[in-house]
Formats: sequence, structure tokens, C-alpha cells
Amino acid sequence: MSAPDSGRWVTKGAALIPVLFVLQAYLSTRLHEWVHPTSFEASPVQRMDKTIASTLRAVAYLTGYKVLVGHVFWIQIIQYYGDDDNAATRWSQLYDDCSLASDLNPQFISIYTFGANALAFHLKRIDQAARLLEKGIKANPDAQRLKYLLAAIGYQNTNNDNLIIPVLEEEAGRPDAPPMLFNILANTYQRVGRYQDSIKVWQGVLKDGQTDELRILAAQKLQELYAILKKQNLSNH
Amino acid sequence: MRRILAVTTFTFRELLRSRLLFVWLISVIVLCGLDFLLSILSFGSILQIFMDLGLAGMEISGLLVLLLGLAVTYTTEMDQKAIFLHLAKPLTRGEYLLGRILGFFLVNCLVVLGMGLVVVGLVIFLGGGTVPALFYDCVVFILLEMFVLTTLGLTYQMIATSMVGVVLYTFFTVFLGHCIGEVQWLLNQEMSHWIKVLLRMVYYILPNLEAFNLKDRLYDPNLVLGWAQWQDILLYAFSYSFVVFLIGWINLEKREFR
Repeated sequence: MSAPDSGRWVTKGAALIPVLFVLQAYLSTRLHEWVHPTSFEASPVQRMDKTIASTLRAVAYLTGYKVLVGHVFWIQIIQYYGDDDNAATRWSQLYDDCSLASDLNPQFISIYTFGANALAFHLKRIDQAARLLEKGIKANPDAQRLKYLLAAIGYQNTNNDNLIIPVLEEEAGRPDAPPMLFNILANTYQRVGRYQDSIKVWQGVLKDGQTDELRILAAQKLQELYAILKKQNLSNH
Repeated sequence: MRRILAVTTFTFRELLRSRLLFVWLISVIVLCGLDFLLSILSFGSILQIFMDLGLAGMEISGLLVLLLGLAVTYTTEMDQKAIFLHLAKPLTRGEYLLGRILGFFLVNCLVVLGMGLVVVGLVIFLGGGTVPALFYDCVVFILLEMFVLTTLGLTYQMIATSMVGVVLYTFFTVFLGHCIGEVQWLLNQEMSHWIKVLLRMVYYILPNLEAFNLKDRLYDPNLVLGWAQWQDILLYAFSYSFVVFLIGWINLEKREFR
């Protein structure tokens, strides 16, 4: 292509610009529907600092790294829940935090399982746990674990321990099961009189517990259970 | 074609000689290290976290190399007038621009694919996990995004009058391009007519980078990615890049170098 040719090509190219612009605009709109099948929806924030929530959302949406920001925020949630100083407020922000993290990273199942377990079994905020799980099931229809957990929380409200146990056993058998779930399972066993099963769970916690507190708790519980069993044996004889 | 290839090879070599691959090396060490640290600190599926962060790292390293490459070449080409040497040759300005775009894109491919190999290697050999099939589609989407941004960046280079301008324009385009999805949401809110017109202009003028953001939907069970979506995305990347290239070409033709 020589220099005069170049001028001719530029003129032809310039004529193409409006056509291609319209085409890209049309495709952009079509792709938008593919990327965002549902309209943007932000979970309402009640207990959490609104500035933090908006800043996080802004950073996530501006940079296009929603999942990355979601993962970083998730580590913060774990630290928040692990901090005993927050016990005074009964971890009041936990639901808001989990909601925001799941807005940013809706396919990260651990947010729902960890959050719901903590909210339902530890903090006894059943409605919040159920709401979080419902959101998780909506975003991940194939995640059976969330359905099981929602069922477990429902059953717990009816105080029907025999129905909760299989669900708790399945959840506790998973490699990423939160430590608190073992406590719940062992206590439920104890409540229904399955002392041997409870002892097995506490023995596992004593052996593999991640913190000293957990291992001390397991040792105390084992002592308590051995005492109950001893008492039972004596009364049987 | 041969002349375009010559400019492509020259640009590719020029970028490699300016030690941009060190940026890649640093990115691999820093981003994979961070990735590893975050996945250990976190709670949940470690491999999922590692994969998500690895993909983000691939995009970040690509963007970093692109921005630095634009800054470095603006200094040599425009400030130190190296462009005179190219334009003095039997080469049209369009061929020159296209060659440079392809050269930049090749370096970007090297960086993104190199980072991808490291992530895949770590997941398979160190984590003992498997790579989701969608990972490879994500890599292609990142490469397409890089192509669009490379074309835009080099067009800015042909229009802008300073290196800082080129870097800032590209930097803000990346940010605003990712906001495009939320512009549509804003348009449905109650606001003044003029703001809506302005937003609509922004929506159509800026690249829709969220369309290439498959990495945030790697585990989305509702994602549909068939031939129809591939056609749309390829055609979109091509048509947008071509419009931008033509604008850059026209500007380069009109530009007087003294």
C-alpha cells in the first residue's frame, strides 16, 4: 500500500466507523444481558458501617475484581468472628458482613455454610441464617449442602434432635466443616443420650482441635461424659 | 502484510528489551505469593480461592505490562522521536499502528499465558487439584480484553500529547469500562434527563469490559457459554477494536511530527 493508497483507505475506513460503532453498541447491549441476567441488587446493610459497605462495593465494581475483593473481605469476616472482643455485641455485624461477601462472591459456598452455622447454632439468629441460606440456594441451585443446612436449622427450631443429627453428621464429615459444628453434633448426641457417639466426637476434637481452647473444652466435656457413664453403670448394677 | 509483520517483530523485541518481562516475573512472584497467602488465611475451598485469585493476577499482570509498555514506548517513540525512523520507511501510518498493536498484544499474550501456566502448574502439581474447564475460556476472554485495551492504549498514544496522559486515559478506561454494567442500572434510576443522556453516551462509547469478565463467573452454575456467546464476544471485541483502530489511524495521519 503506497502513500496515496493510504489516504484512500483512511477515507474508506472513516466511512466504516459509524457502521462498526452501531454494531459494537448493539453487541454491548446484548452482552450486557448475558453478563447481568438479573438487575444489580445490593443487600440492605443494617448493622454494618455503611461507608465500609459502599467503599467495598465501589472498589469491587470499579475495578472489575468482585471475586478478589470478596475473598479479601471474607478473610476479614473470619477474623471478625474469631475476635472475642465482638462477643459483647454478639457479633452483630455477622449477617450484614456475610450478605455483602455473598453479593461480591455469590458462588463461594463457604460464606453461606460458615455464616449460617454461626448465626443459627451459635448466635441463635435463626431467621438471619435462613435468609442467608435461601440467598445461597438461589445463587447455587445445585449446592445440596445449603439445602441440608437449611433443613437442619428448620428441624432445630422444632427441637426434633433425631432429625437434625443425620444432617449435622453429613456436614461435620466434610473437610471444610467449621469446628463449631463438632461441638453442636457432640452436644446433640449428649442431649438424646448417645453418650458413646458424643465421646467419639470430643475425642476427635481433643486429638485434632485447632486451638487450645477447643482441646480444653473437649477434655472437660469428656470428663463430664465419663462421669455420666460411670453414674449410669453404677445405677444399672 | 510483511511490513506490518516487520513492525510487529520490532515492537515485540523493543518491549522485551525494555525489560518488561521483569514486570511479569515480579508479578508472578508477588501475585502468586499473595494468592497463596490469601488461600491459606481464608476458610473454604482453597483451590477455588487460588484459582479465582490466580485469574485476577493474570489480568493484573497483563494490565501492568500494558500500562508500563505504553509509558516506555511513548517516551522513545514520541519524546525521543524514534517514530520518525519508522515513518520515513515505505510504510503507511495505518500499517505502523497495526504492527504496534500486534506487537504489544504478543507481549501481553506472553505475560498472561505465562502467568496462566504458573497458576495451572501450582494448582495441579502443588495443590493436587483439577483446573475447571471454564478456566481456559476465561484466559481467552482476558486475552480479548487485553487486545481491546491494547488498541485503545495505542490509539490514546496517537492522540495524547504526554506520556502521563496516555497512562491515565488507559487507566481510567479500565475502571470505567468495568462500571458499564452498573451504568445500565443507573439509567433505570430517577435522575435528570441530561445526566441520563451523558450516561448513555458513556455506555456506548466506552468498552464494555464486564463482557470479558468471565473470571468472576468461573463457578456460576447459571452461566451459559455457547457458540452464540462466543460469536457475540468475538464480534464485539473485533468491531470495537476496529473502530478504535480507525480513529487512531486517522489521528496518526493528521498528526504532524516536528
